Amino acid sequence: MSYLCLENVVKTFNKTEVVKKMNLEIKKGELVSFLGPSGCGKTTTLNMIAGFLDVDGGSIVVDGKPVHLLPPNKREMGMVFQNYALFPHMTVFDNVAYGLKLRKVPKSEINQRVLEALEMVRLSGYEKRYPKELSGGQQQRVSLARALVIKPKVLLLDEPLSNLDAKLRQEMREEIVDIQKKVGITTIFVTHDQEEALAISDRIAVMYEGRIEQVDTPVAIYNHPQTDFVSRFIGEVNQIQGHVVETFSGNQCKVSFDGYHQVLSCPGTKDTLIDFYLRPEKIQIYQEHSEGLRVRVERKMFLGAKTRYILQLKDQQFIADISNTVLNPDQIIEGQDVLAVWNPEELLATKK
Amino acid sequence: MQAELEMNQEQDIQFKQMKKKKSKKRLDSWLLLLPALSIFLFFFLLPLVFLFITSFKNFDAATGIGHDWTLQNYAKFITDQFYLGVLWRTVKIALITTLAAVVISYPVAYQITKVRGRMKNYLTLLVLSPLLISMVIRCYGWVILLSNNGVVNNALMKLGLIDKPLTLLYTEFSVVIGMVHVLFPYMVLSIMGSLERIDPSIIRASQNLGAGPIRTFFSVILPLTLPGIFAGSVMVFSLAVSSFVTPAILGGPQVKVMSFLTYEQVSTILNWPFGSAIGFLLIFIATITIIIYSKLLTKSEKGVAIQ
Ligand SMILES: Nc1ncnc2c1ncn2[C@@H]1O[C@H](COP(=O)(O)OP(=O)(O)OP(=O)(O)O)[C@@H](O)[C@H]1O
Ligand SMILES: [Mg+2]
Repeated sequence: MSYLCLENVVKTFNKTEVVKKMNLEIKKGELVSFLGPSGCGKTTTLNMIAGFLDVDGGSIVVDGKPVHLLPPNKREMGMVFQNYALFPHMTVFDNVAYGLKLRKVPKSEINQRVLEALEMVRLSGYEKRYPKELSGGQQQRVSLARALVIKPKVLLLDEPLSNLDAKLRQEMREEIVDIQKKVGITTIFVTHDQEEALAISDRIAVMYEGRIEQVDTPVAIYNHPQTDFVSRFIGEVNQIQGHVVETFSGNQCKVSFDGYHQVLSCPGTKDTLIDFYLRPEKIQIYQEHSEGLRVRVERKMFLGAKTRYILQLKDQQFIADISNTVLNPDQIIEGQDVLAVWNPEELLATKK
Repeated sequence: MQAELEMNQEQDIQFKQMKKKKSKKRLDSWLLLLPALSIFLFFFLLPLVFLFITSFKNFDAATGIGHDWTLQNYAKFITDQFYLGVLWRTVKIALITTLAAVVISYPVAYQITKVRGRMKNYLTLLVLSPLLISMVIRCYGWVILLSNNGVVNNALMKLGLIDKPLTLLYTEFSVVIGMVHVLFPYMVLSIMGSLERIDPSIIRASQNLGAGPIRTFFSVILPLTLPGIFAGSVMVFSLAVSSFVTPAILGGPQVKVMSFLTYEQVSTILNWPFGSAIGFLLIFIATITIIIYSKLLTKSEKGVAIQ
């Protein structure tokens, strides 16, 4: 049973469709990320859900009721903005109390709920400060408390962490997920940081050019990308071309990668070329092995827990990321020939 | 512990050197101010000092400025109902002008900040246009509109709304109208400045939390534009309180204001000390407003600084 529904939502700016017939269903209490490159329409979609932009087609339904015709102040959505958007002329307390005062909540209850909300974001004792007397992370927490204190139906976060430094960003995202799970609020989290999306989401909606390319759990998105864009956008991939040398029944074929033969399931016909994607961490390299793709180690880069090897095959380069506990990087010398090996199941077929 | 102390001292020394460099830089920038400063000193501050001194001299029928020191000029002003009445009228007109300018300018400024692109430039130019026309011409324009058989009265009589012409010209009303006309561009620009500094997402945040447009205006937009309103008010008030041409043409002898009194004393009656005292009182009022303004501004800006 979905709680928030986008049905064929369209947005047009100056005759270009920025959001194209978007469909999405989000369950109650779920945290869904919008992930996509800059300009793909994440903010636009979020603004339509919040009511800051009118939809040019389709509908938005929350809890069974269409909301896309309501003004933003009637939608009961809590929004956290990228630049925090705290009211600069109000104290932290007044910022958080703002939504409650508008709802005519009795004074003693306001007091209690504001203090609770501030405690939840670990800002007790900061009530009398003004926003400019807080750090970026603290401001963002106030912003979160202000959005949550009104008990909104949906929490909308537009790149809430992008103005924070890397370490704080990681801390904050864990905190946000903790709070989100504790409150159990349906949440949309906009980001263009894939690591962030993979780490915190129940499901990720990968967006590209105004369309949702795939909605799935982080694991499914990473391991079973449904489109070329998703394969290339999430994580890193090598593109590798194979030559179908033989086909069997049941969509099985034997593919040759420059002499490295593998049997895998793919809809190929004999004597055609097929492109595959292969993630860097799925490749192993051996100095001696019964089979494999012969490549030259062009460069190696020690990255702490793992080492990145740049492998050269004719005029093409691959990268392989190998854990240093699996292969001691000192054993491999730059310029030497090695055998690259992978499990055929790890090959992602392209969708051309 | 020792090492730490030394380090601290070292930092301290570095810090002091940095400070020295900084203060030298500051000196350089003061040098650049010299031309403006000297003009200010010779053409503004010096005359002011003379004015101040003159206002404490006695009146001498033969030479104008006497040799004796006296408080007579100020005493004369303060004890005379007529002069106090003029002072009150001047302040009242300036206050009403300021208030009217705020009320008229705010929607204009609000609307202009909402439009984008070329239209915005055109509208801004339109607002500034009163400043492009000579003050005298503009005032006579209002004379044509407001006089007894002027455009406004004729129209009202034709429509049958009134039987005999209303006295519009040579009243405090006509003076206020003329002043608002000249001065409201300052107010519009000032309010526009503070409106444009408001981050649009703050307004969205207010709506998102459940505030409709009216509530958002009074709880968020208006408080955040108070500095602009104050700044504009100070400009308009000080220009209004000391304006001469507009009250002279649109108020005439019936609506005497402080600047007119000064003019009268200095050029007709030739009582320079008394004229100086009136002039100095005018400056005093303007200064008081600016002080009140800066007090209000620091208060209202407590949380308003842009982030
Ligand atoms: N008010 C507007 N008028 C015209 N075009 C707009 C407007 N707002 C956004 N766009 C366009 O719509 C597209 C999507 O914008 P949007 O802000 O939704 O992107 P985004 O996915 O949030 O990107 P980012 O990650 O950079 O924030 C962009 O191509 C943008 O140029
Ligand atoms: Mg965006």
